[in-house]
Amino acid sequence: MDIEILQGPIAIFVIIGIAPLFAGFINKQKAILTGRIGAPVLQPYYDLLRLFRKETINAKSSSFISQISPLINFIVIIVAAAMLPIGYWKPLISFNGDIILFAYTLGLARFFQILAAMDIGSSFEGMGASREATFALFAEPIFFFTLGSVAFISGLTSIYDIYHSIRLDNISYIVFIIICSISAFILAITECSRMPVDDPNTHLELTMIHEVMILDNSGFDLFLYLYSSYIKLFIYAILEISFFYPFSAKSYLLGIVIFIVGSIILSLTLAIVETITSRFKMKNIPQYLLFATAIGILNLLIYTFTK
Amino acid sequence: MGNVLSILFCLSLFYVSITSRVKGYVTVLQIQGVLLSLIIVIPFIYPFSIYGIILPATLLLVKVFLIPRYINKIILDLDIRRVIDPTIQQFSFLLLVIATMVVIFVVSNILSQSTELNVIPFASGFSAIVIGIYIIMFRRKLIVHVAGFLILENGIFLFGTAVASELPMMIELGTLLDVFVVVFLMGIAINKISTTLDGFDVTALGRLKD
Repeated sequence: MDIEILQGPIAIFVIIGIAPLFAGFINKQKAILTGRIGAPVLQPYYDLLRLFRKETINAKSSSFISQISPLINFIVIIVAAAMLPIGYWKPLISFNGDIILFAYTLGLARFFQILAAMDIGSSFEGMGASREATFALFAEPIFFFTLGSVAFISGLTSIYDIYHSIRLDNISYIVFIIICSISAFILAITECSRMPVDDPNTHLELTMIHEVMILDNSGFDLFLYLYSSYIKLFIYAILEISFFYPFSAKSYLLGIVIFIVGSIILSLTLAIVETITSRFKMKNIPQYLLFATAIGILNLLIYTFTK
Repeated sequence: MGNVLSILFCLSLFYVSITSRVKGYVTVLQIQGVLLSLIIVIPFIYPFSIYGIILPATLLLVKVFLIPRYINKIILDLDIRRVIDPTIQQFSFLLLVIATMVVIFVVSNILSQSTELNVIPFASGFSAIVIGIYIIMFRRKLIVHVAGFLILENGIFLFGTAVASELPMMIELGTLLDVFVVVFLMGIAINKISTTLDGFDVTALGRLKD
């Protein structure tokens, strides 16, 4: 059987399988850095298993939106994950223009989550939904200016092709990649509600963004939400790691090595950032996000005006 | 390589437009000093000339050690609060900075078609000049005005390297001395203002009546 056909399905199974491990790994490193023993690395899997077995209870005031939203969220996130390359493996879904589809499948997931949060009828969830919508508004341009600027320079519109068109013969191109990865990192922090923007561990409703939206979900619904948030974190991690694939010199094995080493380094970076920073004030978050957009705009300017 | 350093210079400009700490300004001044010295020293590394090293070394001494240390001393002595007082929101300030930078890059691209100049250092220097002016316009603290002035001066320096690869060294040293004296005078002025007015908010100066 041709191995080329199997690459896509294997890649997507790897992403779905490893995603909770990645989250657990970050939590473990964070615990060690703050001098605690911490939960085991496999804790996210146990959490998922526990929630999977539990019964789902929906709020009385909720409509069918709350029931379909977790499933739509989960499926859509998997579709987005199927567009990402792992090393030189061709992703399952890859065609010209899938960068737009990628952005909007994630947008669809967010849309349903916000809708479901407002559907429940609690004021806390409504507040979380409002915050999520506001910060998504500022996070979207980061994606389009970073990945978009690479797309603009290479003239390609498929995520796989974009990442593999990066050339390393020019020193300013390397700097460009490093700058891009800074803004991709900020994007990952924002979209996955990590520390300087949102605290994933807090359980005080007034300070949360993402966590507050799933406050009234339970059982299987919560399982789907939690699992999709793990996968989402891993998706953005891959977006970041993919900038460094060109260093593998087009070798399949080296591509996988970069993927693994990149994940470990990125999880360590996330853990360090979360340990040494405190959460921003809500009103300071937009300017933090605009900073990442500004980096993207700078990239675009530089490559428009230097030939 | 000069382009790469200029891009880092632009990044430091973005940082300076969102940071809300006076310390952040001092750090940015130091980073910019290092970047400028590197930009100037590069042409002199490959045929190596001792003559070319003097200016970058002086620049490094003045911009990275003397001036930031002096500003830090003023901050400590006068017990200046750590946050800057912007007159407009940081978010709008950053938007203004981005818009300015886009316009400047477009303009310098147009200019580069008719004259010989290096677009990225030219545009970065130009942006630093304008952003320095913005900082002076939209911040209330006098010490931040000094930082804004120094960023403006860094911009002029970068601008100079983009237009002519080598300015006569005496002129360069002259501008350095100029800056040092200005910062010195500002330090004395801030000291005086703080002892007379019991504060250093420039809006208080506007309210003075005889």
